[in-house]
Amino acid sequence: MTGSRLLPQALRFLGRRKRVLLKLTGWSLLESAHTFLGGYGVAMALDRGFLAGRTGTGLAWLAVAALAVVIGGLATGGVFRGLADLVEPLRDGLVRRVVTRSLDEALAEPALAADSAVVSRLTNQTEIARDSFAGLVLVARSFVFTSVGALFGLAALSPALLVVVVPPLVTGLLLFLATLAPMAARQHDFLCADEALAAQFGSVAQGLRDVVACGAGAPMAARTHVLIEQEAKAARSLARWASARSLSLGVAGHLPVVLLLVAAPWLRRQGVTAGALLGALTYLTQALLPALHHLMSTLGAAGTRLLVVLGRLSRVPGPRLAVPSPAGTPERPAQAPAHPDVPRVELRAVTFAYGAAAQPVLRGLEVTIEPGEHLAVVGPSGIGKSTLTCLLAGLLEPDEGEVRLHGRPAHAQAGRGAAPSRLRVLIPQQAYVFTGSLYENLLYLCPDGAPRSAVEASSEAVGLGTLVHRLGGFDAQVEPAALSHGERQLIALARAHVSPAPLVILDEATCHLDPAAEARAEQAFAERPGTLIVVAHRISSARRADRILVLDGLTAACGSHQELIDRSPLYRDLVGRWHAEKN
Amino acid sequence: MAPTPRPAPPRNAAQLPPLADASGVLAGTARHSASRIFALFLFSAASAAAAVALPAALGRTLDLLLEDAAGVERALVLCAVLVAAEVLFDALEALVGGATSARTTAWLRRCGADHLLSVAPHRAADRFTPGDLVTRLTGNAAEAGTAPTTAAIGLASVLVPVGGLICLALIDLWLVVVFLAGIPLLALLLRGFARGSSHSVSQYQRVQADIAGRLLEALGGARTVAAAGTAERELARVLAPLSELSAQGRRMWQVYGRASVGSGILVPLLTTMVLAVGGVRLAGGSLSVGDLLAASRYAALAAGLGAVVGQLNSLLRSRAAARRIADMLALPAVRHGGRPLPADGPGRVELRSVTVSRGGAPVLRGVDLVVPGGTTMAVVGRSGAGKSTLAAIAGRLADPDDGVVLLDGVPLTEADPSELRREVGYAFERPVLFGETVGAAIGFGQYEPTAGEIGASARAAGADTFVRLLPGGYAAPLTDAPLSGGELQRLGLARAFAHAGRLLILDDATSSLDSITELHVGRALVHDVRTGTRLLIAHRVSSAARADLVAWVEDGRVRAVGPHASLWEEPDYRAVFADTVRDTGGS
Repeated sequence: MTGSRLLPQALRFLGRRKRVLLKLTGWSLLESAHTFLGGYGVAMALDRGFLAGRTGTGLAWLAVAALAVVIGGLATGGVFRGLADLVEPLRDGLVRRVVTRSLDEALAEPALAADSAVVSRLTNQTEIARDSFAGLVLVARSFVFTSVGALFGLAALSPALLVVVVPPLVTGLLLFLATLAPMAARQHDFLCADEALAAQFGSVAQGLRDVVACGAGAPMAARTHVLIEQEAKAARSLARWASARSLSLGVAGHLPVVLLLVAAPWLRRQGVTAGALLGALTYLTQALLPALHHLMSTLGAAGTRLLVVLGRLSRVPGPRLAVPSPAGTPERPAQAPAHPDVPRVELRAVTFAYGAAAQPVLRGLEVTIEPGEHLAVVGPSGIGKSTLTCLLAGLLEPDEGEVRLHGRPAHAQAGRGAAPSRLRVLIPQQAYVFTGSLYENLLYLCPDGAPRSAVEASSEAVGLGTLVHRLGGFDAQVEPAALSHGERQLIALARAHVSPAPLVILDEATCHLDPAAEARAEQAFAERPGTLIVVAHRISSARRADRILVLDGLTAACGSHQELIDRSPLYRDLVGRWHAEKN
Repeated sequence: MAPTPRPAPPRNAAQLPPLADASGVLAGTARHSASRIFALFLFSAASAAAAVALPAALGRTLDLLLEDAAGVERALVLCAVLVAAEVLFDALEALVGGATSARTTAWLRRCGADHLLSVAPHRAADRFTPGDLVTRLTGNAAEAGTAPTTAAIGLASVLVPVGGLICLALIDLWLVVVFLAGIPLLALLLRGFARGSSHSVSQYQRVQADIAGRLLEALGGARTVAAAGTAERELARVLAPLSELSAQGRRMWQVYGRASVGSGILVPLLTTMVLAVGGVRLAGGSLSVGDLLAASRYAALAAGLGAVVGQLNSLLRSRAAARRIADMLALPAVRHGGRPLPADGPGRVELRSVTVSRGGAPVLRGVDLVVPGGTTMAVVGRSGAGKSTLAAIAGRLADPDDGVVLLDGVPLTEADPSELRREVGYAFERPVLFGETVGAAIGFGQYEPTAGEIGASARAAGADTFVRLLPGGYAAPLTDAPLSGGELQRLGLARAFAHAGRLLILDDATSSLDSITELHVGRALVHDVRTGTRLLIAHRVSSAARADLVAWVEDGRVRAVGPHASLWEEPDYRAVFADTVRDTGGS
């Protein structure tokens, strides 16, 4: 179970915070004192004051008890400071973990881009963990120190009181502890049923069109009803255990009151005074009963929720991370390759599939791109164009064959820390612009920085000038959400243009620009020294290239526009020349 | 006493009383579990009565014990009975309350899910995101579902503080005076503690949203980050506000701590004040020790009025949740007729002056179109011309705002819904698949085809080869199968082929296929799939060229209908295909 995996982590977490725990204990002891005086003061006020005819003494003892209430209340401030020192680091650690893991996963498989589940993990689930943990610490601590105060008070009034109070208290607590494990299991079942139901609702909501189109409304509703009933069943089972729990509260909290009265004649013979009896009843009803009530209602629900959420957040990353990622591959990052010269890019019999069982996306692809050449790649969507760019950039390793830059495998040159931007840049369709200054954004692919004039020149060249002006210069803050897709693409393009990389790969990086803006940007890259590979969105873009590579499933054709018109039926299809060939 | 089990609740949302606003939804939940709610109220009231009676009984017993008076045994038995009753009724309250909430929530969810499945898909999609719908069906339904329980328990729990106050007055009027005077006095003294709470909470949430925003930015740019090798830098950038989050979090605990100082002190101080006055009265001989015990308990019970306010708060939250559910239930359900389609109809589709608007803008304007039975018609046009809307209208995934659509002479709005779905099939550009396995995903529909039919459909859709390569083949779990866009489309096609009736509508359903597969599927569609009429939304010239007829759509109108070869003479028609080199119209 998750509990056994979490325990060592939890002990380490607490072990590093001994001082905090000590402080928390110190403040909590003041609460014990407040509980102690609450009952003891009442007993004394009665015995030495009101019953003895000394009203002033009685009021004085009650004043002491009231003072203890105030001091105990003020101690709460200290308790909460200690609580913050315990809870905030936990939340920090969880946030750090969620961020690191989701970044790792996204980098390993960029195709499965951001999903909103990450936001839920980051905000919702870490908050559940934070709140449940805080609730547990508060309640468990309060129960322990209140009990200590009350039991000491009972002993101080008369040890005989303990004989009556302790057995039912312990029995009730044991009963409660016995319900804890099954209760946690039911709570777990409930959370699982709830999630299965949410997943079902998710697929109904997401695929409503398909369900209706398939005429599968009735079976879908039936399946949903089954899951709804399962969740309700789990909830009812939880309610049964909650009901059992309130019986154990009866034994631990209510029964001692009755027993105290039943035993009163015997206690009186043991020398227990009327005031002491009243004090004891005060301990039971005003201190122990509420503390027990809080403990029992919190420990079951919050404790299980915390276990489930922590288990989920700290889950060992799945096999997904085993996908070769650039971050993990080269053991010893190669020296930053000091190739000022333009590379020759060679694909030698490249075959690639996502996973062993999947059909290859590319098979036996053979292309050489000469230094300084401008190549366009075209083909239907989903055919493997983006996979090809990842292979060229060294983000993926071919299953068979080789992708070579400068005669060396591309994959080995793309490691972390090697500043791959000195070698090549890849600009995907989803332009990445982050909240920060425009200048920071533009220097993203310049590991060694760049002179301001170069940044200005590149911005002007790709057609970013208007936007720079509108935003208020290079030092202006960029709000990505406030920019259009096209504007974001222009920033990404200027960023690639100013980078030192001699090889630029644009993967539909201009798809949100209008044809004229696209032409200007591509012109700027064509004039920039280096090799240019463009996955083309429009045929006009492809025609600006020296050569065109047509990907069509497992086959590929490469050549000039005219050659391909003659040779490739798909190319004719794509450029809208089907008719010419048909007749 | 136990409510009698009733037969299954009404399953059809259309037959329900109006649930179109929050009050309607809440009233519906109350009606649905009326007898349970009444029982719950009785249990809670009984528990409250026991709780109110107990301090007086305890006090009296204590007095009798201290005086060694007769009748102690009877007094003790009364105390024991009252304690047992309180514990027992509390347990029953927890049991029936939890079960009733679960039952009401399940009922709300069934209504919601059934209703969702009865509306036109685009209406739900226009108003709500899938995530929003899930929130309404899960969290909001649960919150609204607790309303009857909260109301019943809340109403009964008012009895406790009110009863406490009355009993306090019965013991001694001075005690009530002190109690009532003490509340405003203490509240005034403690007011200073609870300040600035909402500010720190909103600051905290702002920083949290900032981190989430940075993370989503970085995740959205994952390819750029991976290519640039800047993962470390991104990690630092996303986590930069974490220290501020921590600071704001600490401030929150501080504020919360100060607030709980107030609430933690108030009740014990009130009780002590009541005890002090009671003590003075005791010394004067007006009160007994037992009265004092009862008085201190009643002061604590009377101070519990704050908890009732909490119940009220939770009812307000339930009401807000009920409103969100009512919003969803207010989507108009699709009305169906019962007319059968003519047997052996060829699948002739006719659109008569069909007009459709979306978001106030016209998408189709007075479209007249006839797809002759048994033919293949391609619909072409630039993106945004209204092709997909036309596809949705033709098979009644949506209804036109004006005009009629007929299938073999029967208006779709009058047709029997289950027969309509059996006769009209759809395949989409991005199909959503359902089922445990790949085979089940192909078989998903009104009826389950045989394994042989599933295999044949998969072959026709060009999916058989890659499905066989999956571990487990057709039994491969759907969630584990890594599917490319093209593979997903082929499974969607196979699903449509396996259930083919007299009309098959392919909405851009071959856009991610390579040209060889596309050709193969195009041929299979004509030769192997048992269907009457085929209507396909196409981007490729080759698809249009293979169709019997092409409907050329422009700006929401049919510009021309005819064979591809004759339309090709028009330069404007040729320009439709020269727009992009990709098949899809951009993202």
